Amino acid sequence: MRGSITLPRVLAFVVVAVVVFTLPAWVGDYWTRILTGVWMWAGLALAWNIIGGYAGYVSFGHAAFFGLGAYTTALLMQPERHWNFFLTLPVAAAVAAVVAAIVGWPTLKLRGAYFAIATWALAAAVAELVNVADFTGGSFGLTLPVQPSTSYFFYVMLIAAIVAYVVAYVLLERSRFGYKVKAVRDNEAAAESVGINTTLVKNEAFVLSAVIPAVFGGINAYWITFINPPSVLSTEITDQMVVMALIGGLGHPWGPALGAAVLYIVNRQFLAAFGDTTSYIAMVGALVALVVVFLPDGLASLWPATRRLRLVRQLIPVGRDERPRGA
Amino acid sequence: MQLLFQTLVNGLLVGGLYVTISIGFSLAFGVLDVVDFAVGEWVMLGAFAGVSARAWFDIDPFAALPVVFVVFATAGWLLAPLIYRVRTSRYARPALMALAFTFGIATLARGTMLTTVGFDPRTVHTGFATGTLSVVGLDVPWLRLAGFIFAIVATGLFIGFLYLTRTGLAVRATAQNKENAGLMGVNVKRISALVYSAYVGLTGMAGVLIGAIYAVTAQVGPQYALLAFFVVVLAGLGSVLGVLVAGLFLGVLQAIVTVYIGASYTLAIVFGVLFLTLLVSPRGILRRGIAV
Repeated sequence: MRGSITLPRVLAFVVVAVVVFTLPAWVGDYWTRILTGVWMWAGLALAWNIIGGYAGYVSFGHAAFFGLGAYTTALLMQPERHWNFFLTLPVAAAVAAVVAAIVGWPTLKLRGAYFAIATWALAAAVAELVNVADFTGGSFGLTLPVQPSTSYFFYVMLIAAIVAYVVAYVLLERSRFGYKVKAVRDNEAAAESVGINTTLVKNEAFVLSAVIPAVFGGINAYWITFINPPSVLSTEITDQMVVMALIGGLGHPWGPALGAAVLYIVNRQFLAAFGDTTSYIAMVGALVALVVVFLPDGLASLWPATRRLRLVRQLIPVGRDERPRGA
Repeated sequence: MQLLFQTLVNGLLVGGLYVTISIGFSLAFGVLDVVDFAVGEWVMLGAFAGVSARAWFDIDPFAALPVVFVVFATAGWLLAPLIYRVRTSRYARPALMALAFTFGIATLARGTMLTTVGFDPRTVHTGFATGTLSVVGLDVPWLRLAGFIFAIVATGLFIGFLYLTRTGLAVRATAQNKENAGLMGVNVKRISALVYSAYVGLTGMAGVLIGAIYAVTAQVGPQYALLAFFVVVLAGLGSVLGVLVAGLFLGVLQAIVTVYIGASYTLAIVFGVLFLTLLVSPRGILRRGIAV
């Protein structure tokens, strides 16, 4: 029955779609803005999930791609260039893809720890370079033209998030590529022995996972109209992506989006109640540690249908000793 | 020339402290198979422990170093079983889950410290090493020299422990191959906890010295974590000897970049070197680490 098209399903889908697309008319400005943020973070968490959850390589540098996208869009939309907003997004994606390929190429051949370190260092280096470079406005940042409509970004983010989800779902759950990525994650040696070019597959996954945040970064730059290194390149952006994916469920098709929605709304309410407080950082850290220990498959594993999968995963001892001998 | 020599000396002195941070970190990686993202936070917390030793108990932070070691080692001892549990769990990619766990601990520590002490920089004030030593025209602040001497002694003791004691032998065996070490009667879980707690204690002490030399803020952790990562990657993950070379190299590199190019390019150049190392020689500069 799974995936089959029945009348009730179509009806439910149409109702949900209509409700979601008319939300700005129902909920008022405040919640429209919050939901815009939810779409964005859902897209970002889903993107991080491609490399972190499906490929099993933890990237601690995704803020770099988000920031690169934001700066690409901002630079192209400066008065002297005056590009159309939507034309800047493919450029942002291309920039992120090139950077991801350059970083991924040497590090994805190695063990995950190297990759985590390298991506982390990349984010730090990008933030530092943007801070000192002239054309990026340094620490003063860049200002973009103002788009006055609140619901404009609601729809742009929503459509971007839907596209991100569909692309990730089709490529990773419904294609040969998805099987390859999961095979590499679950047992790299076995995947290689059946003829999968594991380094290439991991690089493709990483590039895909880097392109999506760049697009969201571009949209976000236009949304907030003013960007500087702390607002689009801070490590907190990466932290949030990682945490949302972890809380939602690593390697789950929609879990990270759920994690993003939950955490982002909690975050906003937290800010509304206590102001801009650093205790949120502490809370996020505690959440990550707790989820890793007590709920490693995330919130999505509480969903009844996924229980079986979890049990199967527990019974198969994978990756017990990935370490080569003779160190 | 004068400036160059002065820069080299400064770099070497700071490099000693980087060695101290990285050597435990490298070994903890070797034994637990986990990259500890909290390494920079241990430095930060160590520095704040030094600050509070002065502020709360009016003890000289350098005199409190043994206490700092004990406190931090205890914290490490308590944390290690959790890391070990995550690392050996049956979920897919336990190494990366453990990585995420230490990342969570690091974020928790940073957030807590930001909430309690805020963003203001603090300095560890000590009465032990003040003034400057002048040798052949080079100025060496006693404080930095003290830091370097501490680094040599601490690192020496650590290496001595590794290579001269039976427990050290067990540690090295565990780092090489956990299963075989276990078959030879090594309690891998206990050794992991021991190494992790020794590493946290050592790093906390190094934090006190770093806090005395530079001012620290609650958000300084990631910066030192990056330096430790750099040293360990350059050394080749798991190579103790490489750490000595790479730590001193990093100190010198950083000093030269700061003096001749500008402090704000340090991270970018550090990243560039890291990237090239991974590209050319993933097993580290001495080719003694673990590749693949």
